[in-house]
Amino acid sequence: MTAVIELKNVVKTFKNKKAVDGVSFTIEKGTITAMLGPNGAGKTTTLSMMLGLLQPSEGSVNLLGGSPEDRSIRDRIGVMLQEVAVMDGLKGRELIDLFRSYYSRPADREDLIRLSGLSPADLNRSGQKMSGGQRRSLGFALAMAGNPEVLFFDEPTVGLDTTARRRFWEEVRKLAKQGRTVLFSTHYLEEADSEADRILLFDQGKLVADGTPDEIKRTLVKRSVSFLPEATGTDWQKRTAGLLGMRMEAEVEVTESGGRIIVTAEDTDAVLRTLIESNLGIRDIRIDVGRLDTAFEQLTQGTHAQVDTQEAI
Amino acid sequence: MKSLWMQSRAEMLRILRNPYFVFWSLAMPILFYFIFTRILNGNMPDLKEWQAHYLMSMAAFSVMGTSVMTFGLRLVQERTQGWSTVLRTTPLPGAVYAASKMFAQLLLNLLCIIVIFTSGWLINGVHLSAAQWLMAGLWIVVASLPFLALGGLIGCMKKVDTANGISNVLYMGLAISGGLWMPFEIMPEAVQRVGKWLPSYNYGDGAWSIAAGGSPSALSVLLLLGYLVVFMVVSGYARKKQEAV
Repeated sequence: MTAVIELKNVVKTFKNKKAVDGVSFTIEKGTITAMLGPNGAGKTTTLSMMLGLLQPSEGSVNLLGGSPEDRSIRDRIGVMLQEVAVMDGLKGRELIDLFRSYYSRPADREDLIRLSGLSPADLNRSGQKMSGGQRRSLGFALAMAGNPEVLFFDEPTVGLDTTARRRFWEEVRKLAKQGRTVLFSTHYLEEADSEADRILLFDQGKLVADGTPDEIKRTLVKRSVSFLPEATGTDWQKRTAGLLGMRMEAEVEVTESGGRIIVTAEDTDAVLRTLIESNLGIRDIRIDVGRLDTAFEQLTQGTHAQVDTQEAI
Repeated sequence: MKSLWMQSRAEMLRILRNPYFVFWSLAMPILFYFIFTRILNGNMPDLKEWQAHYLMSMAAFSVMGTSVMTFGLRLVQERTQGWSTVLRTTPLPGAVYAASKMFAQLLLNLLCIIVIFTSGWLINGVHLSAAQWLMAGLWIVVASLPFLALGGLIGCMKKVDTANGISNVLYMGLAISGGLWMPFEIMPEAVQRVGKWLPSYNYGDGAWSIAAGGSPSALSVLLLLGYLVVFMVVSGYARKKQEAV
């Protein structure tokens, strides 16, 4: 596999505030990678540094074996930014031609028109008269104007309806099959989950997780064992924590909610075994698997509320 | 070369499709010219001379307006709407982009001058020698550089609304107090005293001198050069400050 993008310990500081804090990753050719995280997690700043729009305060960014500020590198990438600005006074068709003139190996005009999905009438309309969705479709075609090897999309589907969204991802998958590398940012978990081969999870300027959607889900989702004590009077929370702390190596978290004791741990099987073997006098034991979106929300909101949705026993 | 041409063509199309440009840079000056040389010209001592003089005023007014308003506002819009950022991710060199903007502006200024001069000839049969037409046109194009630089300075502003307001005030103020709208001589003395030092008066004065058979004064040339340098230095400083963040 060839590395297309390489970030090493990248830091970006704005007025003493670290927007991106020591991020490193490598993106390989032909993959679709999602940068997932809430607003302000540092996704757009990281993207801007990959595009050479911002300079990293520390660390290095390597794009296609060179600097993103290099013209010959820019000739090989395509970009769609969050705010899709369309130059006023120019028609869609004229913009496509203008962008094609910027690149040394432009894509075929008809291909771009097909890719935009815009009708001939829409293409004859000037940018500022288009709807938000149409502008985005045009932005997609403009990103493809140079027949790029690497594509960057910043929040590409915001404001798109379901059909347009599906169409967009279908095209993106085709592009990846052709060997192009796609990197997109999103704050929609489902989108990252269903469309990406790999998720880079950002939170507060840091890369907090990096893996396939399944791996990310496993680290994000909390499993827990909960039960009701038969006798009251003792501090069950403390007692359970003490017992499990003695018998188990991995870390567990014990909380109490409405008389129910909840043990959150990665290995719920071991917790269950310990609880039963200890013969504590407990009943109504349940195993809960948290939901991915809840976990994501918790992570990104920085709170650690209990996992309250039950999916399986 | 091809990208320079494509980009210049795009820039020209954009300006020509802008209704404000057509109104302020072509329709207004011609309308003013018609009104002040055909209808309200009662007590002009030498009508022929006035018709040539005011034709120069209107051509200067048109080109100055395009440079200050269209050029400056466009820069602010492109930045606030994120267009400049998009272009920075493409291989289009920044220098080609800037050059195409200037080139487009130059061609359109020429167009304005030709249209306005022609309308002067059609409306009043203004008669100048070929050398005078050529020199006057050349002066109005070349001496508009300080106004382009002023447009560039306005282009550093953060908000479109602020830039719009300020450029409007500057444009009107410069046009009126520089004697481009009404004869400079009928202005109050205080305005004249200040006006003599404004770039707009010296810009117009050069063209008036050419139309009257003379040539621009050295003082006008020096003052305009001075303004050009000041505007460029200030906008260069403002740009650097913005980029530092």
